Amino acid sequence: MNDTLRILENEVQIGALLFLTAAYAARLFWLFRFRARRERTHAEGSALRGVGYSLVNIAMPWAMESTRKKPGLYAQFVVFHLGVTAAIAATFIIPYAPGLFEIQPVVRVFQGLMGAAFVVGIFRLVRRLSTPALRLISTADDYISLLLMILFFAAGIMAVPNTPWKSEWPLLFFFGLTAFFLVYVPFSKISHYLYYPFARYFLGKTLGHRGVIPPGRRSTRDAGDDEEESGSHP
Amino acid sequence: MKRKKIQASGIVNSPLETKSQAKARQDGLRSVTEGRLRTYDPSADNVRSFLNLLATKITRPLVVSLTACVHCGMCAESCHYFLARPDDPTMTPVYKADQIRRIFKRHMDWTGRVIPWWVHALRPRDDEDLNRLKNIVFGACSACRRCTMNCPMGVDTALLVRFTRGLLTELGIVPEGVFNVSRDQWETGNQMAVTEADYLETLEWMKEEAGAELGISDLDIPVDKPDCNFLYTINPREIKFDPRSIANAAKVFHFAGESWTLPRWGWDQTNFGLYSGDDALGGYVARNVYEAAERLRAGRIVISECGHGYRSTRWEGYNWAGFDQKIPTESVVVTLMRYIDKGRIKVDPSRNLDSVTFHDSCNIARSGGLVEEPRRVLKKVCADFREMIPNRRENYCCTGGGGLLSMAEYRPLRLESARIKADQLRATGAKLVCTMCHNCIDGLTDVIRHYKLDMKVVQVLDLVANALVVPPGNPAGRP
Repeated sequence: MNDTLRILENEVQIGALLFLTAAYAARLFWLFRFRARRERTHAEGSALRGVGYSLVNIAMPWAMESTRKKPGLYAQFVVFHLGVTAAIAATFIIPYAPGLFEIQPVVRVFQGLMGAAFVVGIFRLVRRLSTPALRLISTADDYISLLLMILFFAAGIMAVPNTPWKSEWPLLFFFGLTAFFLVYVPFSKISHYLYYPFARYFLGKTLGHRGVIPPGRRSTRDAGDDEEESGSHP
Repeated sequence: MKRKKIQASGIVNSPLETKSQAKARQDGLRSVTEGRLRTYDPSADNVRSFLNLLATKITRPLVVSLTACVHCGMCAESCHYFLARPDDPTMTPVYKADQIRRIFKRHMDWTGRVIPWWVHALRPRDDEDLNRLKNIVFGACSACRRCTMNCPMGVDTALLVRFTRGLLTELGIVPEGVFNVSRDQWETGNQMAVTEADYLETLEWMKEEAGAELGISDLDIPVDKPDCNFLYTINPREIKFDPRSIANAAKVFHFAGESWTLPRWGWDQTNFGLYSGDDALGGYVARNVYEAAERLRAGRIVISECGHGYRSTRWEGYNWAGFDQKIPTESVVVTLMRYIDKGRIKVDPSRNLDSVTFHDSCNIARSGGLVEEPRRVLKKVCADFREMIPNRRENYCCTGGGGLLSMAEYRPLRLESARIKADQLRATGAKLVCTMCHNCIDGLTDVIRHYKLDMKVVQVLDLVANALVVPPGNPAGRP
């Protein structure tokens, strides 16, 4: 392995990761500068249960009409994000646990996941370009982020066999792209995973407190409950 | 790759200046002179003011909803506007939310401030841009929150729409109807400018009607009676157009042996602050109700059947008013459920033989959490209850929500989008559609009339009163 690749796999990645961490820390600091509202009402449900339900909502395709009615899009979402997980894992496995990629079935699984995600990425790009409603709202960031992900999957497929003695280019390409990603991500829509828990938390807290979610709860407004709650005055 | 042609909607472009605002200024209304009700000033730097308001009023949940959207478009088909106009991409919730999102990004988000074109960040250029924003957030969204429930990221688009409405309201850039109703609520304490004399006379009239119908002299509609079990708050529409609902409530409360009262002041549970996004108005109206309950030492607050009134008084109002909730606050449907469950009133479902379906008000189901309670009551008082599909939290808006009934300029688009609701209603085959919301009554009546459906709209209280078994010995008792 030449020095360029070694530095790219290690020092550059660590530097880029530190940059990402610092950028996210700044972002969270910025987010927490905005005030949050104090809830002044009595609960009908449970904010905690609401938050829990809201956070795992994404793993329940039956819970939302939008995912229930479009199982194909939900499946694409799952495949795409499994591909992302595999690609990110590969950036750590190659420099720190290279032995794992000496096992051929593991390499094949990673390549399969990233290959499927690559295909989904193409589908997503086509959908974004061909659907008027999506085209109208799509920004350069939306297109470039998706294109970069597609490229990242392709680079990952070539890199995971981890055979620098045959050719270092796939690894140089993959880690170069990874370093670029780590610096680019905080400023792009790819950062959505940072906001997801907060968005879900606030929605779950509000709607859980009111008893809107989780759905199907037994009414807490049974006669006995209400009689007990009442009567601060005669 | 097949690229479909975009057919933009040309969202109604109502004018910036309205006659009502000019008249309100001319008349020197107190709410205007004291700065509570804002009117549009063409000579002011409204864009600058808008951006300043955006920066000062924004909260953390709003920031999260503004930053978390990934433009996946999953919200599109949850919106009745888009479903009715599938070839019009400006009807998607994400497009509507993006109109405030791009301003936020240009003004406050790091990427949007440095490279705005990269994320479609944009600053409004002039008042006409703000007017266009007004026509989108007031005219093409009923803030039903259906898209919120269908967003994989948890983006609360309805919250963003209300926030944007609030910023525009502060600049007087609002539809004429919104201005008029806000003016009435600021000036008179109720949204239909009902005078105290009219209010008291109507209550007296209903007391006599209900008493005469039942042949009993001790049926009362008490006003300002202290130390009651609950304070009953109503919608001004009940005084103006539907006083029978007050008589029905009085009958049921009488047979339940209830101790209740209406307040002389603070009886309007509706709240236009919810629709206009004006938290100050919202807090003022809600505080009137809470203070009436305190003044009369009521044990709880009971809200008559009204969707946005329930949401405002039960949930949002306490927060807008900065008033910690001290006593239980509930919908009258919950009160009715308790009466039936505890045997305080007897009901006979064979007195409501027509098929009945239930329409969930958005503010009650998706923003209020009341979905099973009305069904529990209806199943006890109706012989043929049938669900519409979808229902509960997934039900479609009556299309009159978000204050749209008061905005005549957006009516054609509203009725076009109502095709979804009409199809849903028609599929039930029911003769009656029941709802626990006065706004939905008018919205659904419009839908039924426009799409020529063979249905009538009723409320839960109507059906309960009709099914009421009058105790033996009462002159009005039926065998």
